[in-house]
Amino acid sequence: MNPLSIPALSDFLPLFLAGMAVNFEIAAIAIALGLLLGVLLAATRVYGGFPGIAAASLVALMRAAPTFVVMFFLLNTMSREASASGGQFAFSGIMTVALSLVPYAGAYVADSGVDAFQQLRRGSPLAGLLFLPNIARAFFVLVMSSSAGAAIGVTEGIAVILHQAEYLPSLADKLVLFTVGIAFFGVPLQVGFALLTLIQRRLGRIATRNQEVLVEAPRVT
Amino acid sequence: MPARTRAALASIRRIGCGLAIAAGLLAGSPVHAQESHAPDAALQRLLREAQAAVPGECGKPGIDRLVRILCSGRIRIGVRDHYPLFSTRSGETRQGYEIDIAQAVAGKLGVAVEFARVNAANRIPMIADHKVDLAIATMGHNTLRDGQVRFIRPHYYRSETIVVGPRELGVADWKDIPGRTVCGTVGNGSNTELVSHDARLMLFDDAVSLPDRLDDQSCTLAAQDDSFFASYFTDPRFTGRYSAKFGFAQVPWGMAVNRNGSERLGRALDLMSQIFHRDGVFLASARANRIGTAFLEQQATVWARPECNNDTGTTNPACILPALDATLKPTVFADSVTAFEAWCASRTGIDVMLPMLKTAPAWSLFKDGIVNSLILVTGALVATLVFALGFGVALGSRSRLLRWPVRGLTVTLQSSPIVLTLVIAAAIIHAMFSYSSGVALGAAIVALGLANGSNAGQAISEAVLTLRAERTALPMSGLHLFSRALARSATQIVAFLINAAKGTPIASFIGAPELLSALTDITAFSSGRVSTYALLLIFYTGVVMAVVWLCGRFRSFLERSHAAV
Repeated sequence: MNPLSIPALSDFLPLFLAGMAVNFEIAAIAIALGLLLGVLLAATRVYGGFPGIAAASLVALMRAAPTFVVMFFLLNTMSREASASGGQFAFSGIMTVALSLVPYAGAYVADSGVDAFQQLRRGSPLAGLLFLPNIARAFFVLVMSSSAGAAIGVTEGIAVILHQAEYLPSLADKLVLFTVGIAFFGVPLQVGFALLTLIQRRLGRIATRNQEVLVEAPRVT
Repeated sequence: MPARTRAALASIRRIGCGLAIAAGLLAGSPVHAQESHAPDAALQRLLREAQAAVPGECGKPGIDRLVRILCSGRIRIGVRDHYPLFSTRSGETRQGYEIDIAQAVAGKLGVAVEFARVNAANRIPMIADHKVDLAIATMGHNTLRDGQVRFIRPHYYRSETIVVGPRELGVADWKDIPGRTVCGTVGNGSNTELVSHDARLMLFDDAVSLPDRLDDQSCTLAAQDDSFFASYFTDPRFTGRYSAKFGFAQVPWGMAVNRNGSERLGRALDLMSQIFHRDGVFLASARANRIGTAFLEQQATVWARPECNNDTGTTNPACILPALDATLKPTVFADSVTAFEAWCASRTGIDVMLPMLKTAPAWSLFKDGIVNSLILVTGALVATLVFALGFGVALGSRSRLLRWPVRGLTVTLQSSPIVLTLVIAAAIIHAMFSYSSGVALGAAIVALGLANGSNAGQAISEAVLTLRAERTALPMSGLHLFSRALARSATQIVAFLINAAKGTPIASFIGAPELLSALTDITAFSSGRVSTYALLLIFYTGVVMAVVWLCGRFRSFLERSHAAV
């Protein structure tokens, strides 16, 4: 049976979609934890002083830490028999990947948060609200980055594709399969980015209109 | 009595007399004299001597463990609790090949057997601490362990590492392994051989998880002892889906006793093992427990040979198997590293372990890993810049014929997770060139350059468009416009250069021998994973911070170069 035939694809697609759900699950955990950490760091940076400097340094470190290496570090340290309250725990593969994405997510949220706060201070609440589409953008980046989980045995979308590719003898067949994978990842990503662009344009138009009102207002009064 | 019957009886008597005479002659011949050198006779002599010491010497300190066992009437044998077909426990019932051997040993000694549970980590300490008299616990005999316990020879079993995968998967030998991911367990001695054949390792703490990982498709291939997979291959469902592709790294298994105070016990067990092979005791038990018998059949033949079937057979190199040579050549500074580790532990209480500095193969992998990582980072930066310029020119072009295909390629690259982009680049490059470390590095550089360069190129083209819109009244040459666009998109270019540097460790996924790959290989056959991966994190974070600094200078240069315009 050709591994790209309809029966084979009918076996593959449910597995692949389940794998993609894992990508979204990982991204959701990472963005949630990143928001918690990032908002805290952003608030500390805005507070200033020594805590602000420390927070800025930590964000710089988090920004520089390669996700893939962080993942292997967590896998080989925290995922092992770490002691917690006298007991033993181990992170699952999904949690390990999600945690490895937290430095990136946290640093991104912190940077965006500081920007948003500065915009709010300047009296531009709508520019400050750009924080929200930025978070959505980070979420899509995290969905794509979660494919790194394939390297540690997490059965996410790319891992399913690569497993299926092992059975394909020719490069052409493999490329067809990879194209299917890119399409499945690409469509939600591109649709998501298109929506974000629309939201940003809409916010921009509202901001421009408000500015015009603000400029005109003194003349009226 | 009929005459025919009488004649027959007379014939039998004649034959009987003849046989008796022949037996008498044989008894006086040199051949019979050899009986005293038979392993059975040697064992009996040894046991008689030990029995003679009972109970007189039972209270004396420093007596041999054999005498102590005879005094107490029991032998404490360390066995595993869950190693299907070899040694399993269900309540108070134990069964398996090793349990049969333990009972056969106790039977020969004429004592009761008391089982103690051991595992891979504590079986040697249990022997060293005299908590068990003997361990029969799936223990491979290698030269490192020779210094810790006394192995009984001949060995009672021999395992090999087998590579298991789906039946329909076309993997037959080492030539099919380069570039493939093979799942294994941390600390498995055969990992070095997999690494040397360019396999990518995905390591797990416990072998028990490997069949599950095959089932959930996290692993396509798994490498582990054939003894481990033996029970799985008795399951029709498993056998229907998976097969052993090939085997390597044969390791003889030995019973083991303490190196001190067990001279007579060890000798008695050597002789027993020899007899068990010769008489097919091991073989019969192996068949009863449905484990592989090829090695035991071959050993039964060896120990039946005259030059082996005597009381010196267990020391004859022609009869016994050597221990697996697991000694790794130390580096010239290994002692200093060990001293440093001890100093750290005593001063800070932190167990810093630096296995990459202590053995020659690890040191070589480590050095190559650092060099390859730096090549990869440099290559990824250059490739990102080159592709960014290329994509920028094409996407900013007025020609739709050039712009649209490149835009399509950009969208495709943006939609592909970086792991998939790497795999695609590797698949295409491997179709053109045979697998090598250099090819894997090249594929990674191209993939990272394309993924990040397309995004940076898009930023350049957007800058070109804005410049065209702003400067319609001011005609600019193409080159001048492009260099202005570079300055305008400097922040984006730098962001994607940094992203490319951060992404370089992912190259290990396609077998590029950078530092992450090298350290994973090192930890596969040594300890100290926490220190090793902490060091890796520091290295890569440092490299990325250096790239951030350099890119900051580069951005300033780009912005300054057009500040006056």
